[in-house]
Amino acid sequence: MADVIKSFRPCVAWANAGGAWPDMIFSTRVRFARNIEGFNFPGHAEPRQLEEVRRLAFAAVRGSGLFPRGHYFKLEALDQVERRFLVERHHVSHALATSALPTGAAVSNDEDLSVMINEEDHLRLQCLRSGFAIDEAFGSALKLDEALGRALPLAYGVKFGFLTACPTNVGTGMRVSCLAHLPALSRLGRMPQVLESLSHLGVTARGIYGEGTYVLGDFYQISNATCLGRSEEEFCRNMDTVIRNLIRQEITAREELLAGPMRIRTEDSVFRALGLLKYARSLSYEEFMQNVSLARMGAAMGLGIEVDFSAFNQITLLMQPAHIQAAAGRPLAPEARDVFRADYLRKNLG
Amino acid sequence: MKLCEECHKAQATVFLKLAVNNKVTEAHLCQACAARKGMGLETGAFNISDIVGNMSGYFKDFLPSERKTLCCRSCGLKYSEFKETGRLACAGCYSSFEPQLTELMARIHGASQHTGRVYSGGAALKRSPAPAARRREELRAAIREAVAKEDFECAARLRDALKGLDKSHG
Repeated sequence: MADVIKSFRPCVAWANAGGAWPDMIFSTRVRFARNIEGFNFPGHAEPRQLEEVRRLAFAAVRGSGLFPRGHYFKLEALDQVERRFLVERHHVSHALATSALPTGAAVSNDEDLSVMINEEDHLRLQCLRSGFAIDEAFGSALKLDEALGRALPLAYGVKFGFLTACPTNVGTGMRVSCLAHLPALSRLGRMPQVLESLSHLGVTARGIYGEGTYVLGDFYQISNATCLGRSEEEFCRNMDTVIRNLIRQEITAREELLAGPMRIRTEDSVFRALGLLKYARSLSYEEFMQNVSLARMGAAMGLGIEVDFSAFNQITLLMQPAHIQAAAGRPLAPEARDVFRADYLRKNLG
Repeated sequence: MKLCEECHKAQATVFLKLAVNNKVTEAHLCQACAARKGMGLETGAFNISDIVGNMSGYFKDFLPSERKTLCCRSCGLKYSEFKETGRLACAGCYSSFEPQLTELMARIHGASQHTGRVYSGGAALKRSPAPAARRREELRAAIREAVAKEDFECAARLRDALKGLDKSHG
């Protein structure tokens, strides 16, 4: 497990709490779904064809010049912890990590660009940026898309645009998503209404690792629900409007939590959460996420928490199960992981 | 003490929040049931069909009914199979099922015409003769299967695809 994980830096740029509104938007991602003309989509292709797709994809990524000193993986060569590590870094999906097909992943050295190979589509390429940064993420992802599109003939039609295995991705093949931290709206019990209103705006909310994953620590992955019938820029503008609106709602909710008699209850919850993170002797990932969510909110509210705001972001990344095992340098059973997590936090937050 | 919603026996210790179809759903399970359903937090993922039933039903409701023989001219994927799984098999499926997909796109995207970036094509692949030979063999097998099922319409389409392949690869 060591080799792959050691090749990555412990901290990543897209989690450095930069960009706009980093206290509410952890990161922004733009991804394109693409297929190579002349090959069946991965779910219906022979393993040998998929190996050829992977070979072509790696060559195109190398040739793009956008991945200097990049990482290239054949996922079947990685162990469970290494695969999980890539999921936790948001470079590959859970579906790719558990696929039985010849799959691959390419990750740029500073980890802002990555390409998944042979997931549901031949290519899923993405750009990740810290904070609220739709334009920057879109610009970089587009550059990568254009480079790969020059090197490889992509499946495209005038009527339906870029062709994908699932009809929900066809057209631009683009998803713009923001990982939003919405603890105040959650605490005030407003998330059901917020999610309901999002569905009328062509936007969908998912769990922390994307489709089919849990909501942990009040983090929601918000993305456009459709990709056909508008230009890429229009989809970006729509997401921009929706996210700005969501930020306004979260700000209002945070103000409510600090007004009148609510304030002492909010402060109490925040500092109890911080106390738990600092002094617990065993802490599951779920419990960690619940409490770091409150502590992160407290730091953003300026409640006098001495932990640097971006430190919370990096800790959120480092306390994930595979990252814990990477830090320990060996596979750990869940109980041992919980103890290791508590120890780490005590040393680093205390 | 809250009991597991699945076995109603053990104490529920796994509390999961899921965002599905823009609704937050909560599940309270014991460790054993959560693990059995592959829903342990260690994987960070849940099996969506366990929670909201089979999602492919989503397509079933939106796709028009067609005669059973309709299949893709390039790869032979049956329309009925697409309707079941919600996944297409190749780029050619889009032209083979164009009328049905046009209707589906209007439902799911609110539009059925791409208005985004125009793609003018990338470098042609230097395909080795091996994939073409394999493709020919796959098509021949699909033709034999269609004939055996007396699905002559599908067989004729596959034969056209085979002819097209012979032309392009000599």
